[in-house]
Amino acid sequence: MSLLELKGVKKIYQQGKIKVPALRGVDLIVEQGEFSTIFGPSGSGKTTLLNMIGCLDTPTEGEIRLNGNKVSDLSRKALAMTRRFNIGFVFQSYNLIPVLTAYENVEFAIRLIDHTSELKVKERVLKILEEVGLKGLENRRPNELSGGESQRVAIARALVKEPKLVLADEPTANLDSKNAADVVKIMVKMNKELGTTFIFSTHDPMVMEYAHRYINLKDGMISADERRG
Amino acid sequence: MFSIKLGLKNLTRQKRRNSITILVIAFAFFIYLFLDSVMGGMEQLSFNNIINFETGNIQVAYPQYWEEREELPLENLIYLNQDIEESIKNIDGLLATSPELRFIANLNNGIDEIAVIGLGILPEKYNEVYTTQQYLVAGSIFSPGESKAVIGKGLAELMDLKIGDYITLLIRTKEETFNTIDLEIGGLVNTPHPMINNGIVFVPLDIAQQALNVENGVSMITIRTNKEKEITPIIDDINQNFQKKNINIKAYSWRESAETVIAYSAAQDAETAVVLTVILVIGMIGIINNVILSALERTREIGMMKALGMREWEIVLVFMIEACGVGIIGGLAGCLLGAAGVGWMVKYGYDLSYIGGDMSLYGIPILDKIYGVWNLSSFIFIFFFGIIIALFSSIAPAYWAAHKDPVKALYHR
Repeated sequence: MSLLELKGVKKIYQQGKIKVPALRGVDLIVEQGEFSTIFGPSGSGKTTLLNMIGCLDTPTEGEIRLNGNKVSDLSRKALAMTRRFNIGFVFQSYNLIPVLTAYENVEFAIRLIDHTSELKVKERVLKILEEVGLKGLENRRPNELSGGESQRVAIARALVKEPKLVLADEPTANLDSKNAADVVKIMVKMNKELGTTFIFSTHDPMVMEYAHRYINLKDGMISADERRG
Repeated sequence: MFSIKLGLKNLTRQKRRNSITILVIAFAFFIYLFLDSVMGGMEQLSFNNIINFETGNIQVAYPQYWEEREELPLENLIYLNQDIEESIKNIDGLLATSPELRFIANLNNGIDEIAVIGLGILPEKYNEVYTTQQYLVAGSIFSPGESKAVIGKGLAELMDLKIGDYITLLIRTKEETFNTIDLEIGGLVNTPHPMINNGIVFVPLDIAQQALNVENGVSMITIRTNKEKEITPIIDDINQNFQKKNINIKAYSWRESAETVIAYSAAQDAETAVVLTVILVIGMIGIINNVILSALERTREIGMMKALGMREWEIVLVFMIEACGVGIIGGLAGCLLGAAGVGWMVKYGYDLSYIGGDMSLYGIPILDKIYGVWNLSSFIFIFFFGIIIALFSSIAPAYWAAHKDPVKALYHR
């Protein structure tokens, strides 16, 4: 059974009286453990597609299955629970909570699903922060971290609950090339070590080099889908 | 729960805005506590003035007299005898009794004339029930049989009278014939009770009785007890004693003579409700404004929370905790400010001369200075009231924030 399955997914936005198609019928199957990139020009529907896959939005037409379960017509509450337990997100602008430390930002994600002992949670958070190379920076707040460090916190936050799928929307767009490479290397490492499936959108050719699968999106449709290695 | 922790940590954001909201709430609470203290102080002072200068704790009179007492009739007077005295004197908690004869008179100083209330008293007994003697500012209290009067300083100034001057009281006897009482001003009093200061002429009881032709009749007997907070059982005991002796006299609480002040006290409750409503509105506007602005500023953050799978009620809880924190800090600050204001009013009071000095114009028997009172229950009430306002007024804007579409929130559309 595939981790993710999209069949004829369409998304049409209504802007006033005009209907704007963002996705025009996407068929896609993603297996567990894949490290895929979605690329394409601006307005091609990358973010819309990630939102559909991430259960943040529902398609106008078509079907989405996550882990075999149909998620395309779930209620808001059910979608929230699906995201909570199955999906991690990494955003371009990190979206860390400024009043929380790096440790607390990561803890925040795990507290939503794990109400076990403080000690167990602490162990898990510290471990993931160490894995993304932030050992010693646990008590720093976002304004005391560099862009690269902030994005690593965001990756740790996405991974700490050990989701089946991590979606990253242009995760390196705000980073310099060195930090971008570091962040992608961490995602690759996590993909290998934890077997987490990654799907990320990017414009950056350097970042794309690390992917195993390239999904090219054009005018709301998949124009190319290639695998490497 | 992490939502609570996050809500509390969020209090450290937008410090300036939170501080302004906290200050607004604190100021509103301060106003409430200060007004409550002043109102309470006025009420207490009014009641004290009524008891100490006007009625004692209990008044004993014939019911027919009691009903018409405002007109100061010379009918249905009490004629003192052994049975009446015995019915009162063995009551538990009794400190003193004072017979008094109240009558209508016109005071004439030889030039002008003014309507006054004449009060025939036995000085020794009167001084055991009332505190008027402590406010004697000139001269002395008369002795029984002396043709002397004691008047208030206000009345003396109005009629241009001083110690040693002579006045004539024009009166109507029980038989509706005119009579006069010539008296020398023997003493001047300056009490905190406006009526005593401006409208009463104290005269020896025997002289008043003789002039009014009422033999040994008195309008009422006033009683001072040492159980001021438990006068109902004392009143019941007195009434039972009268009943046993088949005397149709009744005892009445001072409260029945303080209807204006009690009515004012009831009006004060309505005023408190208005003040509370204003505080409610101020607090609600402050909190709603705070939550809406926070939600607008944190739109992306709300989107991120939703992306992580936070449910709407969990996001609502974050905002409610934050609003509750503002309410608690505002409430504490308000209570501290209130305590300072109330403490100042309790210690130093407020000189009414700045606003005219005589509250009797409004039916309140207070002159000169009012003091605040401590009312712990008001502090507790307003503190929790603030938290409840904060919680309830944050629900709608917090729900509005939490209900945002996650995609629109994430990309701030």
